[in-house]
Amino acid sequence: MSDGLVRILDGNTFVVSDDRGDIEASATDPTGLFSFDTRFLSRWVLTVNGERLNALSVDDLEYFEARFFLVPGTGTVYVNATLSVIRRRAVGNGFHEELTILNHANEPVDLSVRVDAGCDFADLFEVKDALEKKGKHSARAENDKLVLAYDRATFRRSTAISASEPARIDKNGLTFKIRIGPHEEWSTRLDVVTEGLAIGRSRPTIEEPERSHARMRRNLDRWIDQAPRLECDWDPLKATYRRSLVDLAALRFSPLIAGGHSLPAAGLPWFMTMFGRDSILTSLQALPFAPELAATTLRALGDWQGVGLDDFRDEDPGRILHEMRYGELTAFEERPHSPYYGSVDATPLFVVLLDEYERWTGDRALVRELEVEARAALNWIDDYADLQGTGYVSYQRRNEETGLENQCWKDSWDSISFRDGRLPGFPRATCEVQGYAYDAKLRGARLARLVWKDTALADRLEKQAADLKRRFNRDFWVADGEYFALALDPDGNQVDALASNNGHLLWSGIVEKSKAKAVARHLLGPRLFSGWGVRTLAEGQGRYNPIGYHVGAVWPFDNSFIAWGLRRYGFKEDAAIVAAGILEAAQFFDGRLPEAFGGYERALTMYPVQYPTACSPQAWSTGAPLLLLRTMLGLEPEGEHLVVDPALPITIGHLELLDIPGRWGQIDAFGRGRVQVERRSR
Amino acid sequence: MRTDPTTEFFGELGSRGHEPLLSKVTGSARFDVVARARTEHWLVTIDKGDIRVSRGKAAADSVLRADRASFDRICAGGLNLMAAVLRGEVVVEGDPRLLVRLQRLFPRPPGGQRLVADPAGRPV
Repeated sequence: MSDGLVRILDGNTFVVSDDRGDIEASATDPTGLFSFDTRFLSRWVLTVNGERLNALSVDDLEYFEARFFLVPGTGTVYVNATLSVIRRRAVGNGFHEELTILNHANEPVDLSVRVDAGCDFADLFEVKDALEKKGKHSARAENDKLVLAYDRATFRRSTAISASEPARIDKNGLTFKIRIGPHEEWSTRLDVVTEGLAIGRSRPTIEEPERSHARMRRNLDRWIDQAPRLECDWDPLKATYRRSLVDLAALRFSPLIAGGHSLPAAGLPWFMTMFGRDSILTSLQALPFAPELAATTLRALGDWQGVGLDDFRDEDPGRILHEMRYGELTAFEERPHSPYYGSVDATPLFVVLLDEYERWTGDRALVRELEVEARAALNWIDDYADLQGTGYVSYQRRNEETGLENQCWKDSWDSISFRDGRLPGFPRATCEVQGYAYDAKLRGARLARLVWKDTALADRLEKQAADLKRRFNRDFWVADGEYFALALDPDGNQVDALASNNGHLLWSGIVEKSKAKAVARHLLGPRLFSGWGVRTLAEGQGRYNPIGYHVGAVWPFDNSFIAWGLRRYGFKEDAAIVAAGILEAAQFFDGRLPEAFGGYERALTMYPVQYPTACSPQAWSTGAPLLLLRTMLGLEPEGEHLVVDPALPITIGHLELLDIPGRWGQIDAFGRGRVQVERRSR
Repeated sequence: MRTDPTTEFFGELGSRGHEPLLSKVTGSARFDVVARARTEHWLVTIDKGDIRVSRGKAAADSVLRADRASFDRICAGGLNLMAAVLRGEVVVEGDPRLLVRLQRLFPRPPGGQRLVADPAGRPV
């Protein structure tokens, strides 16, 4: 990694260290061993005869395992190059480390090998916001292990560290006094086991590293085998595709309640948990590739659907959660994430995903299973989200202290603004959410007719949707600019900045045909399109900043939905141009698209400037190439069939996607690049 | 007779008959309410949403154990069940998915409001 950090992960357990394998976390940086939002190791430093080691190379080709090749000595001149040290680390229930030292000399060598260990047991939120601890830390050296613990009333989290070779254990670590013969080696296994959440009967188990490696390797191989195979003339796309599949596998997370099934967590390191919006959108992107993610996402979110009014958690009946957390601050209700419901779009998107999932898989049993939840979600749109009685979905937090101010995907403080840069008051009715609500109603109607056999509900939803579309096209349309306003403010005025949200409106289908052309022209026009992708906010708007998070940066995920929207309205070539820009940008990140990159003009920088953020891989960026593939190939379920209608950038050449799973069994799709993209990216 | 939030809650739960929020759930949960020397046991049996509540220590798919004071707060909406589990105030054994279904049954904090706003954006 460019930041010199090495990350390995499995579900919501992850280890971030430097390139020597050492961890020296400060209060505010997210290095260490984390599990369920708690840091279980903040110090892990290896020395040999009191000396730190030097990194020769790191092999982190597997997402769950890394190998560090080291030599003693500091600086560039190695004081003792007759020793090699190898640390092989794999995530398990905590992590395992195989520490091996090789003596290359002709004489035996006596060594004092020391591993310093310590832990602050920080809640991830504390790391993010630099907060103080309220409980007590302890360290206890037992005969065969070091136990680090943190206690606050009934809350207890602990880390047990043990070694397979004899060690002297003290409160700050383990020491090995060893002799290694000439050309011989010594090795020990270190087990770091986390203990905390008191759910279920399961006790922490220590799996043999070899077995755990084999299990995870098998699991990854199966995952990749089950996904469609991509063949293509343009090699970078193959690399990006493979990277996406592996990262998606790495981000799978099994949220305690899902019976071992997994759904996409949002992103490393801050968001390795279940997020309504992120898990839904990523599942949508991945539907043609890994439909089972959608099933688990729908079930888990359905299980947690809101049932009552809780102002602290911004919970309403029928509302789909925003974010679930397991750390100390959530446990003591200092944060509302048990779970927190403050999302304005997750609920309609839940219905959208359920319908899209059925269209691909034909799994009506799940639609029946989730009938109550889907109906409650549809009711939420009308009964709890129309905060002003104007027929539009809007948001305003009830938890003024720790709730989220902006509850749409552009959730930073300055993301929703007028053309002149002013910020509107609350409640805010952002435009894309009206589109999602429209789409949810129509899709809900389809499910009501097809599966729930409730024609009255279907008729009502369709009537509501038509009415919403008519009003929306009247109230949000900025006539002098020919695009849709970003939002309506509390007085019903148009928040008239030009933003990428217009693309999501195409995706949802709420845009009247007569207006679509103008919208597409904006999306591909010089103010929004950078050459790499569509900016979150158009150049020339008051708050535009090419490296502003939601006010100018380009988000790959955003673009993948914009491309889908362009396709929906028949702008195949425009969709291909957006896809080409994003996929070409991916090359600069070794196929791993970041959360966002700078909105600078492509001709100006020649390469996409990464947004300074720590989140990588991030689920919906990982999903972006997948949705772009679907979009470029024009894959669309029609009844029991899959329609293939390719419109590929000429740069891609020949492309095959083989064994696409769905209600049709498995189908292959082929295409050849014909869309000229160069003229637009100049 | 002395009533406390826990007794009241389980009494009311037993009188619900069918609970639509649990219409897909079949299973049983035992609540072990620990008070000084004595532990009270409440057994909640759910059959596709039909709820029966009884006293007594029977085997169950899921067992939730906590002090009476903690249960009293949970049953009165003063403490979120999941938060209590996260901090070890309630210890759960058995099926974790059942826990998520069960948390639907407990009252939310008093005073929760549907947010309705006047045109100036102030809650009314």
